[in-house]
Amino acid sequence: MKNRLKVLRAERDWSQQDLAERLEVSRQSVNAIETGKYDPSLPLAFRIADLFDMRIEEIFLRD
Amino acid sequence: MSEKAAKIETGFSGRQPGLWAAAFALAMCAIAFAEYRGLLGGWRSLPFVAAATLFLFPLTRAANNRQAAAGALSPATQQYNRRMLIWSISYVLCLGIAMTVRNYLDPQGALLWGIAILPSLPMVFFVWTLARYVVEEEDEYLRYRQTSAALIGLALVLLAGTLWGFLETFGVAPHVPAWWVVPVWAIGLGLGQMIMASAERRADRT
Repeated sequence: MKNRLKVLRAERDWSQQDLAERLEVSRQSVNAIETGKYDPSLPLAFRIADLFDMRIEEIFLRD
Repeated sequence: MSEKAAKIETGFSGRQPGLWAAAFALAMCAIAFAEYRGLLGGWRSLPFVAAATLFLFPLTRAANNRQAAAGALSPATQQYNRRMLIWSISYVLCLGIAMTVRNYLDPQGALLWGIAILPSLPMVFFVWTLARYVVEEEDEYLRYRQTSAALIGLALVLLAGTLWGFLETFGVAPHVPAWWVVPVWAIGLGLGQMIMASAERRADRT
């Protein structure tokens, strides 16, 4: 699954560590999601969507 | 998760768990070789085994530092590393006591059963540590990563155990004690973590 996490993070000038702290996950988790290596669970996807004030499908895109 | 709270030690030895793991393995191999050549054995080996076990402390510290530097040190991971250190020391200690009692006291009956079971007791703590990590880890990616590495370790144990078992059954390989499952699993766990780290580096480059 593709996602726009890296772009959204860059728009806010956040580092991976900044985003990780806001989501209360490890920086490695943010990196794994950004690079498409790991698809987050639905609860984490909702947390990400809430943080960016967007809908899940605006952040995560079908392949 | 705040990684700033974690104390990250810089420097080569502070971030090289492989270095300390190799030092521990080499020391244990040297002790085994000395016992094989009759230079050590029983009580005489214990101080050397205890000294080699000290390598586990910097190994755990270096593993914590490496994970912190990689942004992968959660409270559950720190707890897991600490429990694994306790288990390793308990295992070496129980094994040392059991072998010494067997070599010097020539135990029979219940005592023989007792010392034969003794080195297996820390395994209860080991299995509990694995289970607690899965329960306590709140970071779903780290949990997925560790579980995947553990499954790779399990795959290696199943494959190696089945293959060696049939080689033994058909008389083309010597007998290997069943307690080797733990070292083989640990090697598989290490391999699994290397595979996961390699996949992360590949994903980073793309």
